[in-house]
Amino acid sequence: MDFSTVDLSPEDKAFTEEVREFCDRHITEEVLDEERRTGNGFNLGLHLALGERGWILPTWPVEDGGAGLSYLQARILDRELRDREAPMISFGTTTMILPAVLQWGADELKADVVPKVASGHARFCLGYSEPDSGSDIAAAKTRAVRDGDEWVIDGQKMWTTGAQNCQYTFLITRTNPDASKHKGLTMFLCPLDDVEIQAVSTLGGERTNMVFYDGIRLADRYRLGPVDQGWMVLLGPLNQEHAMGEVQAGVPLEVAGGHSYGHAAALAVEAAAEWAATPDADGRRPIDDPVVRQRLARAALQLEIATCSEGPIGRIVTSETSIAVSEDMLGLVGPAGLLAHGEPGAVADGILEYLHRFAQGTATYGGTTDIHRNIIAERFLGLPRGGVAPKSPVG
Amino acid sequence: MPTAPATLRYADHRLDEAQEALADVFSTFFERECPVERVRAAEPGGFDAALWGQLVDMAAPAMGVPEEAGGDGAGLADLVLVTEPLGRRLAPVPLVEVSAAARLLARCGPPATDTLAAALDGRHLVTLALHPGRPGQPQLVPAGAVADAVVALVGDELVLVTGTGRPAANHGDTPIAWWDLDGTAGSRTVLATGDEARRLVAGAVSEWKLLTAAALVGLADQATRIAIEHARTRTAFGAPIGTFQAVSHALVDVHMDTETARRLVRKAAWFADREPGTDGHRIPMAYLHAAETAMRAGTVGVHVLGGMGFTLEADEQLYFRRAKGWTLVAGDPRAELAAIADALYGPPTTR
Repeated sequence: MDFSTVDLSPEDKAFTEEVREFCDRHITEEVLDEERRTGNGFNLGLHLALGERGWILPTWPVEDGGAGLSYLQARILDRELRDREAPMISFGTTTMILPAVLQWGADELKADVVPKVASGHARFCLGYSEPDSGSDIAAAKTRAVRDGDEWVIDGQKMWTTGAQNCQYTFLITRTNPDASKHKGLTMFLCPLDDVEIQAVSTLGGERTNMVFYDGIRLADRYRLGPVDQGWMVLLGPLNQEHAMGEVQAGVPLEVAGGHSYGHAAALAVEAAAEWAATPDADGRRPIDDPVVRQRLARAALQLEIATCSEGPIGRIVTSETSIAVSEDMLGLVGPAGLLAHGEPGAVADGILEYLHRFAQGTATYGGTTDIHRNIIAERFLGLPRGGVAPKSPVG
Repeated sequence: MPTAPATLRYADHRLDEAQEALADVFSTFFERECPVERVRAAEPGGFDAALWGQLVDMAAPAMGVPEEAGGDGAGLADLVLVTEPLGRRLAPVPLVEVSAAARLLARCGPPATDTLAAALDGRHLVTLALHPGRPGQPQLVPAGAVADAVVALVGDELVLVTGTGRPAANHGDTPIAWWDLDGTAGSRTVLATGDEARRLVAGAVSEWKLLTAAALVGLADQATRIAIEHARTRTAFGAPIGTFQAVSHALVDVHMDTETARRLVRKAAWFADREPGTDGHRIPMAYLHAAETAMRAGTVGVHVLGGMGFTLEADEQLYFRRAKGWTLVAGDPRAELAAIADALYGPPTTR
């Protein structure tokens, strides 16, 4: 066990300063305002600036487009960017998919795409869900039919967040409708040039998309892995998304909330604590009220529990903590908590009102909390798989 | 709005080799020596003298006492690895109480030297009063039924009171007993006074809560395992009941609570050893989460076992009753919320 303070070397301290200056320059109030307005989860200027420094693949060698950073420095970078609310959704999906491209992609495809990922010019989004299937990923119906050296794609995907800012989607298709559910799937890194993208607005303010594939013709070099074995290809990124992957090399560092989904809980507790310490018109501080103290203490405990959780448990606990804590803290602050960001008199400039909406989506992104309970039941507790429940998507 | 804490910390929850070995030794010991028949045989008194004798022979009560005071100098991060497997087997031995009392006696210096030596070699069994003693008001003391001495804060003084307690039939079949802490029944020795006395007792009560929290994690884990085994094998409507998500998800929930409670306990122990006097919220958080987790695990466990779970024949009820029995003697664990708020936000301003 080790929870000690990280002893930063002079180089690490200088690096932290460099990151902070970078954030000051590239994560401006304008960038954050645009994000609030559009829910893009992406900012082109910021992303290209990260690429210019090799910070999209920070631990890769400089000659491969990385920055040759240590694991610790990469964590410092990640932490600072998150702390400044950098819009990073497409960054996250791109780097999540890249290992599958490296493992399964044709050399020609990799030579074309990988340097562009490093520079920021190529971004990837996830093409899993469809109108009739979400967490049940392997039920995908989008067809890919071979036609000579090409494939013809027909179907529709849902929740393709970032499609409007990405060049490729990591697309799951059905190539053999006669094979069993998991056996007839093939993965592609499908260019988004000719698809039709329709925006979908969400309760949390993020923009996501419906994407229509209407006879899209695709060269075979965009295929990832063997035909009909897409499930195997999908497992790497899926395990990472389900927090099932190996613990990364190096020593883990404390992250408030323990997982990106817990960040909302951390922000909510902080905003409510600040509100509670501020005297009202009569000079009374809410924090001196025993009920307020108990609710804040309970929220802080929930946050610490989330901070200490990891893996599939962390995925569930952080999300559900953010949902519960943001709702409770919003209720705690009273009527002015309803006011939107930018409205005079809004408590904590509306962040609790926003977090309360935003947190709901975290229980669904990347496979619902319910699916993760199935994973834990089957793989960690050794409970038998349910007859009606789908096969757990982690195999 | 930046949320990153000012300092960057490691978050490494892995045990090192020595800690793994220690946990392994005591897991094996309690598993081998304390089958559930032994827990039942010790009811209702909640004490197995032979098992306690084995632990004294192993010098377990001395583990957490500094070497210069005759112990092994183990920290709380080690002791929680001992009391977790104790809790898993519901071992009817007062190791939590004696460990906390012995560490307190060691901090008292010369006035407590002889008592400490007698506590470590088993001649005396010294426990700890969890609440300030009030003249004329007897107090329920954990392990008070088997102890012949109690360390307590009475008024401004930290005192060692000898005598015997009056055992009382109770929910958890634990050896709690009423003690008169004014020393009218036996001897009374002052070990410390004033702020020093208050600080020492507060520290010992806090350590009792941490070691109890670890035992509660073990309790919760085993209560859940019993229920999982039942859910794997019991069939209803043509399928094992563990295939029904109403059952499996309830078990997952208490499993998640148990895993996080274990982490909070060990992390709080690490901070108490390495950075004492800071982060006063950690032990209250660990204790409250472990207490609530144990209660939930016992409740879910009894329910998953169905009608059988409600019978005294089911081992699950032993776990259910100790979830409350081990904690409520210190007062409702939810009172820790006030301690958490005090530590994080400062004491309330009174107007």
